[in-house]
Amino acid sequence: MTNNISAHAAVKERPVTTLDQKPSRAEGRKDPWSQLLEKVGKNQDRQAYHALFEHFAPQIKYYAMANGMSSHAEELVQEVFVSIWRRSCLYDWRKAAASTWIFTIARNQRIDMLRKMQRTSAEMQVETEDLWQIPGENEDEPVTSLHRLMSERRVRESLRHLPEEQITVIAKVYMEHKSHQMVADELEIPLGTVKSRVRLALNKLKVILQDQNV
Amino acid sequence: MTRHHPDSLMLMEYSAGNLSEPHALCIRLHLDKCAHCRSRVDALDSLGAVMMEQQSQVTVEASTFDSILARIDSEPAPETVTPRVHRSPLSKLLGDDLDGLPWKRQLKDVSVLDISDRFPGQQDRVVLQKLCAGGKAPAHTHRGEETTIVLQGAFADNKGVFNQWDFVVLGQEDEHKPVALEGDDCITLSVLSAPLKLTGTFGRLLNPFIR
Repeated sequence: MTNNISAHAAVKERPVTTLDQKPSRAEGRKDPWSQLLEKVGKNQDRQAYHALFEHFAPQIKYYAMANGMSSHAEELVQEVFVSIWRRSCLYDWRKAAASTWIFTIARNQRIDMLRKMQRTSAEMQVETEDLWQIPGENEDEPVTSLHRLMSERRVRESLRHLPEEQITVIAKVYMEHKSHQMVADELEIPLGTVKSRVRLALNKLKVILQDQNV
Repeated sequence: MTRHHPDSLMLMEYSAGNLSEPHALCIRLHLDKCAHCRSRVDALDSLGAVMMEQQSQVTVEASTFDSILARIDSEPAPETVTPRVHRSPLSKLLGDDLDGLPWKRQLKDVSVLDISDRFPGQQDRVVLQKLCAGGKAPAHTHRGEETTIVLQGAFADNKGVFNQWDFVVLGQEDEHKPVALEGDDCITLSVLSAPLKLTGTFGRLLNPFIR
């Protein structure tokens, strides 16, 4: 699976939306998926919702399968999409691209499902959303985050130039939910090597804005 | 303002959803007060979105979308869902009066409260520590990794001054002797991956794992 990710990472482009509207000037850098998500939030637009489903549901299913939740993969897709519907009114395109927002919902729903399998709700003193937050929620700061929308485009662009060994490590962390230590054990390389590959990758991806106290 | 931040590797584990619950809580509390790290996590979440997109094709069952529509039709319309009133995860967990918690005094200047039982099924030890204003803690090293966030007040050690919402990870090589600044009692939340190793005479008493 890692090979797949690596191979696709180098060549796969985001598909162009089938909708015929072009972003207007007023909509600035809103990407097509973010426009669709906004329509769901504002108008409960089911056509837009279905377009999002067509694009993101296979990704979410694969996300579940990649980390051993195959038997719950369809369930996760459902949970994520019900959550997207419910929360779409809170979505603000200025704070996150739709794909980033949907990724964080998928991540949280996965954690939530695993937590609920492991314990009773009475034991859940802290809700998943209190631990892992969705970008743009619970923020009272003025909108200053146009660079957030840029970051995804930048990440995708820079990913093409990363060596495969760095992409492999990142894929294992994000898709297989392996800790840096587990990645080191699996690849039979020292933990320090894993960490330096991640650091090199993040540097190139310019994800590290400023790293202090390392 | 906070000056000590989590490193990128830890933020990446957070963004990927791989941290334990107590570690995630420490990060979350820091993020709530640190716009700098919020934008770092936003960028990492974008990386997650791109990783999720780079994948082999799988087919979603045709009936899944219908099941989803059936579910949302049986629920209230989304416009009736209002944003929740934001209450800090810390208040939810510990209430709003940190000083009023059932602290166990262990030394003249030091009280502790083990809250590991709030995180059932987790292996980490989660400990609140209170160092009274101007108070000194005995020197100690750490047998494992200790992740700490300052909830109130400030302390200083050989690495600098740690203010409210500052974040610090200490490892085996770090011996320190924290001193609380004058003014407020200093309260920290620490997640310990292994028990503290104590170096001073009074150290044994401070160690929440030796009773």
